[in-house]
This record gives sequence, C-alpha cells and structure tokens, in this order.
Amino acid sequence: MSAVATETAFYAYGVVASGQRAAVPTRAAGAALEVVEAGPVAAVASVVSLDEFGEEPLRENLNDRDWLERHARAHEDVLLAVAASADVVPFRFGTISRTADDLRALLRDREHALVAALERVRGKIELGVKVWVDEARLRRALAPPAAEAASATGRGYLEARRAAQREAADAETFCADLVREVYERVAAHAAAAVVNRPQPRELTGRAERMILNAALLVESDATAVRDEVDVLAERLRGFGVTLEVTGPWPAHNFVDGADDEA
Amino acid sequence: MESHHPALRSEVTLVELVDRVLNKGVVVTGDITLSVADVDLVYVGLRLLLASAGTLDRFANEAVAA
Repeated sequence: MSAVATETAFYAYGVVASGQRAAVPTRAAGAALEVVEAGPVAAVASVVSLDEFGEEPLRENLNDRDWLERHARAHEDVLLAVAASADVVPFRFGTISRTADDLRALLRDREHALVAALERVRGKIELGVKVWVDEARLRRALAPPAAEAASATGRGYLEARRAAQREAADAETFCADLVREVYERVAAHAAAAVVNRPQPRELTGRAERMILNAALLVESDATAVRDEVDVLAERLRGFGVTLEVTGPWPAHNFVDGADDEA
Repeated sequence: MESHHPALRSEVTLVELVDRVLNKGVVVTGDITLSVADVDLVYVGLRLLLASAGTLDRFANEAVAA
C-alpha cells in the first residue's frame, strides 16, 4: 500500500443509470449503499475500510476462503437487491477506488461503454442453462437390446469390446448433438447467449457430467426459456439427461467489453 | 441477509458464485482503482472451489494432525 493513509475506500458493486438512482436500496446484504453519480451513470458502492480492502490486506484476504466466500456472496446479494428495482451492470469482484472522486473519474472514463452495457441489459435478466448427463444411463438407453450375455472369451469378448466402444462413441455423438440442439433452442428465446466451459465434476460434486453451461440474456419474463427447457427435459428423461435453469442473475455474462473503450 | 430474493440464496452454490462474481462482470483496470486488477481472480476462485471441494481441507487437516 502506498504511504497515503486514507482510512476508507469505495467498493463498487456495479452501475445503474443515473435516472434510476432513486430505486437503489439504501442497504443490502448488511451493507450501507451509496450511489456515486457521474453524468448518465451511477455506481452502487459501499464505503469499506482500507484495513480490509487496501491492496496488501486484500491480497491476504483473497487467500482466506471464508472471507472470500462471504464477500463474494455479499457482492452478489447487493447486485440482486439492486436488480430487483433497477437495471444494473455488474462490476467484477474487488473494484475499489480510494475516493468518490476517483470513482466518478472511473465512470467518466468508461461512460460510453457503461451506457451501452446498461442499454443492453435494460429490462432483462440473466439465466443459466445447464445440461447434465448420467453417462451410464445414457449408454444403457442407447445400447441396442442385445446379446450382452456374450462370454468374456474369444469372439464374444472382442464383440463385447467393440460394442462397448461403439456405445461410448454413440454417447459422445448424442451429447454433442444434444448440446447443440439445447443451446440453439434456448438461445432462440434470448437477446444474447454465451457458452461457458462446463464446470468439472471435482467442483460440482455431482455424479453426472455437465455437458452444457450456457448463460442467456432474456426479457425478465423468462417463461419462454423455462417452457422450452421443460419440453426438452421431458423428452430426454429416459436418457439420463437432466436440464437445469438457474437464476435470475444480474447480467454478469453480458457486460463484458464495457472496459474495452479506448 | 436482506436479499430481495431469499428463495434464491440457498440455490447459489459456491461454484456458481465464483463462475459469475469472480470470473465475470466489468473488469476495470488502471491507476484509478486499487483493485485486484493484477490478481488472477479466476485462479483465486478455482483455489476457493478446490478448497471447498475438500481437496485442500484434507491436506490442511493432515498438516494439523501431523
């Protein structure tokens, strides 16, 4: 940390249009919220202590699992509370300015991109769409009702091996086609859509494999997507495939590029 | 908690949270922020998740027990 010993700083959660500043709650997730306005955009922020959020302490706190989880949840909860009554462009975790003037300068520097991002998310919410597959069930569902009883010797063994390889390949093809179809069908109801890397099993803790991890930007009445997912889920139930819709979320996935402005 | 979406809260798993709050959103870089702009939050998030998945905990517990 530099020698300038300011006590506090502004932690910015995200940005709303100045015209909606009155809709921002005064408290959320246990934190008092301040609105710092610069022209057409206003940051939703909290005053935080530099003892906790100064560069050195922050680096240490990022290594503290409980601290990080607690503050990541608070970040999200504040955004959700704001999103309940205003359109909000989320900042990534840990956007901190020393003073309100610095924060206003930051907003002015990026005004054009932030206004564009607010325009993009206006009246919309983010949904997550995930597809999970129970691979053993899928293979069983795809396997021909067969001479599985072949012995593990000689020709029977080789045939069984080939059959297993064929089933694995069939399952992969099935999943690839499925992912494409689900994505296309849900994205058709969205203003924008992105595919993120599926979360690995070590992190999800689930027995099924995640094969699609998509995010959609949709009108806040998201029934079209949910209905589409219900139809697909019904059709796929027998294949060990589960579809999941998460959210509504603040539009984390659709504000990227707001900092690209030269 | 004063979230306006109480029903959502229990659904927000840590992996979802990390996927969005640490990995996404507008990234502001430059002199004007103290921020963690030069810290790889994707990596920090991954470490958090691995810790919660029990991988790091196990090592930590073994270290304490030793």
